[in-house]
Amino acid sequence: MKAIIFDASTMITLTMNGLLKEFRGLKKIFNGKFLITKDVKKEIVDKPSRINRFKLEALKLNELISDKVLEMSSSVGINPVIVSQKTEEFKKIANSTFTAEKEIHILDSGEASCFALSRLLDEKNIQNVLAIDERTARMLGEKPENLHKLLERKLHKKITAKKENYEFFKGFKFIRSSELIYVAYKKGIIGLKNGVLEALLYAVKFKGCAISNEEINEIRTIGKGNRKY
Amino acid sequence: MKERDNILRIFQETKEAIKKGDSAKIKGLSDQTINTASLTHDPDNIAVAVIVYSLSKILERKEYKKLPGWERFYKAYIKAIDKIISALKKDDEKKVRENLKLIRKEIGKLSGKLKKYIQDVFTKAKINKASKIYEHGISMEKTASLLGITMFDLAQYAGQKEEISEQREAKTMEVRERIKLAMEMFK
Repeated sequence: MKAIIFDASTMITLTMNGLLKEFRGLKKIFNGKFLITKDVKKEIVDKPSRINRFKLEALKLNELISDKVLEMSSSVGINPVIVSQKTEEFKKIANSTFTAEKEIHILDSGEASCFALSRLLDEKNIQNVLAIDERTARMLGEKPENLHKLLERKLHKKITAKKENYEFFKGFKFIRSSELIYVAYKKGIIGLKNGVLEALLYAVKFKGCAISNEEINEIRTIGKGNRKY
Repeated sequence: MKERDNILRIFQETKEAIKKGDSAKIKGLSDQTINTASLTHDPDNIAVAVIVYSLSKILERKEYKKLPGWERFYKAYIKAIDKIISALKKDDEKKVRENLKLIRKEIGKLSGKLKKYIQDVFTKAKINKASKIYEHGISMEKTASLLGITMFDLAQYAGQKEEISEQREAKTMEVRERIKLAMEMFK
């Protein structure tokens, strides 16, 4: 058993680009579960379903849940109450890691719940990765020192980092919609040809996936090769 | 209220810029509470950023001035700013907040096309300011909730900002490694 945990940011990127058919295609070839938490569902279904502009997207995403393409944590035997408790713990630690005059609150419940669920899956020995398009949560997990630098550079203030908290966010693995698109491309799930990888990478970038032009060029180059992973 | 003096200066300079019809200057001023808003999530600083930015956009649109209700709305907007300046000088936070709210209430009193346009300006102002806070390192969800917008709004807008996607600190892993990780999950 393995699992991919989806944050709201990734589901939003894919939905806004009309890539849910490809997402379903990915699920078909995935030997495991695509999971979300109730806090992520709130962001991708509950809130947008009350706003006319995003009602259609909310409906489409809700259908993924009805069709069990996306599943809740209970589908792998993890009680949502436990996820909520762990979420609070992650939120508290994340939001006390960087301080200027006071603690800087950098994460909210959806993002924190993804970390929480990943840790709970680890405890059950279920291999998992986080699919997160927004960059703050990813930076906290992969290079918190970079997040520290970014906060200082943008806020023009000396920021104190509680470095012992970095340990708490170590060991998480992250992918983005850009890598999912790459997999879909390599596995022949994407119908279009001729430059479609580049087009898709820019499409996800412009709908919120935190990926640079340089990274897109690199993925495009890798995509041309036949290297087996 | 955080950084009262800074907010007072922003409103005073906004008033000067209104007289000169300098909407670009007003736009610039609207970003000057973003640092504090990102650090403290202070709702007053966030409201100031949105209100000042909206004003710059409203002033840019000459066609609004021909619509019914414009005169009354614009006068009320400027009057509220005067009252905010006066309350800030007296350190009367309650009055400042009342007048920040008053501007929102004035929009509610509008009707027809102007109401729709002004509401749209305020929504876009919120999204613009949210993208600035996100740019400062606060997460997408946290930022969206601070501004009362959806992540859908923010993701679309932020995705088009090179200032965000090209931040050098955001590269946290080699591209090849992440691709490998994704491909291995689908083996």
